[in-house]
Amino acid sequence: MSRVRGGSDRLLGAALFLFVGLFAAFAVVLIAADALYIDRKAVAAVLGADFVRDALWRSLWTSVVATAVALLFAVPVGYALSRYRFPGHLLVDTLVDLPIVFPPLVAGMTLLVFFHQTALGRWIEAPLSEGGLGLKFSFQPAGIVLCQFVLSASFAIRSAKSAFDEVDRRLEDVALTLGCTPWGSLLRVSLPLARGGILAGGIMTWARAFGIFGPLMIFVGTFRGRTEVLSTTIFLEQSVGNLEVALAVALLLIGVALVALMTIRLVGGRAWVKP
Amino acid sequence: MIRVQGAECRVGGFRLKGIDLEVAKGEYFVLLGPPGSGKTVFLECLCGLQRLRSGRIEIGGEDVTLLEPRRRGIGYVPQDYALFPHRSVAQNIAFGLVARKVPSSERDRRVDEAAGRLGIRHLLAREIAGLSGGEKQRVALARALAVEPRVLLLDEPVSALDEATRESVCLELRRIQRGSGASLIHVCHNFEEARLVGDRLGVMRDGALVQTGTSEDLFSRPKDAEMARFLRAGNLFEGTAAAGGLVRVGPLEIRSEVAAEGRVAVSIPPDEIVLSSGPAGAGEANVLEGKVVLASPRGAFARVDVEAGPGLRITVHLPKPYALPALEARVTLRFPPSAVRVFKP
Repeated sequence: MSRVRGGSDRLLGAALFLFVGLFAAFAVVLIAADALYIDRKAVAAVLGADFVRDALWRSLWTSVVATAVALLFAVPVGYALSRYRFPGHLLVDTLVDLPIVFPPLVAGMTLLVFFHQTALGRWIEAPLSEGGLGLKFSFQPAGIVLCQFVLSASFAIRSAKSAFDEVDRRLEDVALTLGCTPWGSLLRVSLPLARGGILAGGIMTWARAFGIFGPLMIFVGTFRGRTEVLSTTIFLEQSVGNLEVALAVALLLIGVALVALMTIRLVGGRAWVKP
Repeated sequence: MIRVQGAECRVGGFRLKGIDLEVAKGEYFVLLGPPGSGKTVFLECLCGLQRLRSGRIEIGGEDVTLLEPRRRGIGYVPQDYALFPHRSVAQNIAFGLVARKVPSSERDRRVDEAAGRLGIRHLLAREIAGLSGGEKQRVALARALAVEPRVLLLDEPVSALDEATRESVCLELRRIQRGSGASLIHVCHNFEEARLVGDRLGVMRDGALVQTGTSEDLFSRPKDAEMARFLRAGNLFEGTAAAGGLVRVGPLEIRSEVAAEGRVAVSIPPDEIVLSSGPAGAGEANVLEGKVVLASPRGAFARVDVEAGPGLRITVHLPKPYALPALEARVTLRFPPSAVRVFKP
């Protein structure tokens, strides 16, 4: 924007950047406080520890899988909520937001009760040889993905719905008259135009999934080498008094998240966010 | 080519009320009506984007009432054109051909042909963002024509254009339609625009097709006072009809050839009134005297407004060559009883 600017522009700019500066400074100060608290020994211990690398890898792959599954649901659910009015629309629309509101711990308790106290949950986890589905979630890495999905899918669905809402319905109508099937119209018109919003939802979903902690403590536990992720490593280390190591792992988690989010925004933003 | 019988449709609180319409092969039909009268809903019904509650739609002799939009053989250009913003001009034009799995060599030929017909070959590599309103309109038309439709449906195709270019674009639309041989329904709310392009016109009001005919039919024989008002028939007054075709409008007595009784509306087309200065002859009907309150050249004609009584302002269109009367001059107006239209108020 290159319009002529006056004194009120400068005043508005100063006010806006005062808040931007305060917010950024607050975040930097908090991170710096952690960084100043730890010493080289703690950093070396963290970077050389197998259990940290193991937890980092598990944090990464589980959050990526949870995000992929969330997006798999987000596109059809978001499109249905955006384009169709059906009985229970309001209920489903509200249910989508529910996990954003309730404490993460509740998700863990609910999953535990479902898989251990209901016939359906027990049948899902029962081995195939016993007539079950053989899908083990509780106290297993797959359970981490499930917890992450439950708590973060809302972001993906909400973003996808908003993105589809933004696509002019007449574009789909014209595509239908030009020879597209409804599937073709979705894939060739709506999805490409909504992809920026869907990707933004994916970023939010991954960010939420990557740092999740509360429900994991209850539903999958903190078994080193099996269900440990970075957030639970922090909890384990600080609970036995290794505050420096816990903070070094926290900084590692923050660093990985920062790099990942900025990379997605820089690379993905150019190619995807602008339809 | 297009036959609609008793088409009824409900969209939210709006209802399309039993539309009957026939548009011949190669005919340019203009659907007129005020905003909210149901023109767009009717087009959407023809496209298959709205399902009929009852009635039947035939295109080219085929019953398409229950056919999906893609199987109807129509080219649809909605208001604001609805171009795909994520695709180039060429990709927009080719969109329907790709959807119909037309081989790429044939597709390229048809895109080039459609672009050539609309004079937009130089735009083919451009993105949609940054095109002017006129360029967007041409791209949307090329996209609709590329699939070689049996019927073209244009929803307010020139409403986004400036006043100066509307007329030339309308004439070009007519040329394009003749070249394609498709039947065309053009929706608009401007009678002058409709008169310029339409072989035949139809007027919609409150979800019903009220009257169809040539522009002359509609203008000279509007169905009722509301239609006359919408078509700006001019000189529309309310009065009381008496025996012998006499209508009393305020202090004036106007003679018509229509036998009516009670409250009526009368309209006297401005171009059927003759301006003169001589007094009324014995027994001569429809001779009014008044004072000139407006005299203004309007290109092909001049508009003269004459106050013929308290609150009774009569407009006259003088054809070229005309001599404009002076303001405040006393003049005499004459018009034959056959020129007086009488309808329900």
